[in-house]
Amino acid sequence: MTPENERKSAEQTDSQTDLQLVRKVRSGDRAAFDLLVVKYQSRVASIISRYVYDNQEVMDLTQETFVKAFRAIDRFRGDSAFYTWLYRIAVNTAKNFLEARNRRPQGSADASDAENFDDGGRLRDLASPERLLQREQLQKALSTAIAGLPEELRSAFLLREYDGLSYEDIARILECPIGTVRSRIFRARDAVDRQLGPLLNHSAT
Amino acid sequence: MDERLRETLSAMMDDEADELSVRRLLSHQEQTDVRDQWQRWQQIRDLMHDHHGPGDGVDVAAAVRENLDGRDQTAPATPAAPPLKAWGWPWSVAAMVMLAMVVGFGAGTGWESSEGADGQLVAHQPDVPASALPVSMEELSLQGLDEEQLKQMRQFMLEHAQHSSVGAGRGSVGYARVVSANSGY
Repeated sequence: MTPENERKSAEQTDSQTDLQLVRKVRSGDRAAFDLLVVKYQSRVASIISRYVYDNQEVMDLTQETFVKAFRAIDRFRGDSAFYTWLYRIAVNTAKNFLEARNRRPQGSADASDAENFDDGGRLRDLASPERLLQREQLQKALSTAIAGLPEELRSAFLLREYDGLSYEDIARILECPIGTVRSRIFRARDAVDRQLGPLLNHSAT
Repeated sequence: MDERLRETLSAMMDDEADELSVRRLLSHQEQTDVRDQWQRWQQIRDLMHDHHGPGDGVDVAAAVRENLDGRDQTAPATPAAPPLKAWGWPWSVAAMVMLAMVVGFGAGTGWESSEGADGQLVAHQPDVPASALPVSMEELSLQGLDEEQLKQMRQFMLEHAQHSSVGAGRGSVGYARVVSANSGY
């Protein structure tokens, strides 16, 4: 599986959860919106950083994007994925910001690129050596944590994360009930989190 | 947060949680725990997929929350309900009550509304544009009523409300018949 497919696999199949959360937000549940923000904050910041290079401005615009999204959430009809809708708001927010300052967009990212957007390259260029080192350490810790998982947990977890398979498909492949798949993936996540948690709390991914 | 809720959260990460479980999770009292756990798992996923952003390690959610909490008036805290569904039943009953009051006092006591009197009692619904109201409600005002008329009106409204609540709307229908009979139809 190519890296691009890997990326898409975990992103494109998660619209149901987003829709559930959007429904809750519409009914007045602010906690549901928090989960959407946490889920997408990194990616929205990455989109905006294609247009704006100053980190503080990127963070301000990321915040503004989510505030706009919250206020407009009743207008989200579900015709596209929530992330695509959010992506458009982020792009427009960044463009408006630049226009207001008579600055030409420094980068480009059309809304149609939302699903294929690759944020890695330029952002790596922006990262400080210290941050790059932290990420390298995290990557190593992650690899160690995954390698240390029992085989049954690791298989289920990787089939989900890297291949983007549904629980049903994983259950078929591993010849076990769906509930077992769900439990194994949870336990794998939990184990990795326990190993990486201290690092995640004190550094950036 | 107990094991079961965390497993639900994990399933949410994979778009495999059902609506009921999500509702249960979001109604959990310690939402900070839920958010922290969700955030760490998202970070791990980002790490696995090599997603890096300039906002890594920064909690935008907290800033967004503060921003929105400061402007709750603009928040979509309540869903935008379809107008007909929201107004249909209450307005039909309200319109009937108002019609009853207008016809009842007009026919029964010879009362007519007059503008500009002190102590006026005005039918008022600030959240609804006047153009959305029935004509009779848009213009209706009960002004210059004496004590006896007000007492009679209160009594009538009480009786009407009782009929409506007991008869699930049959009180309104009954009154409509009375109006029809009085007006000769």
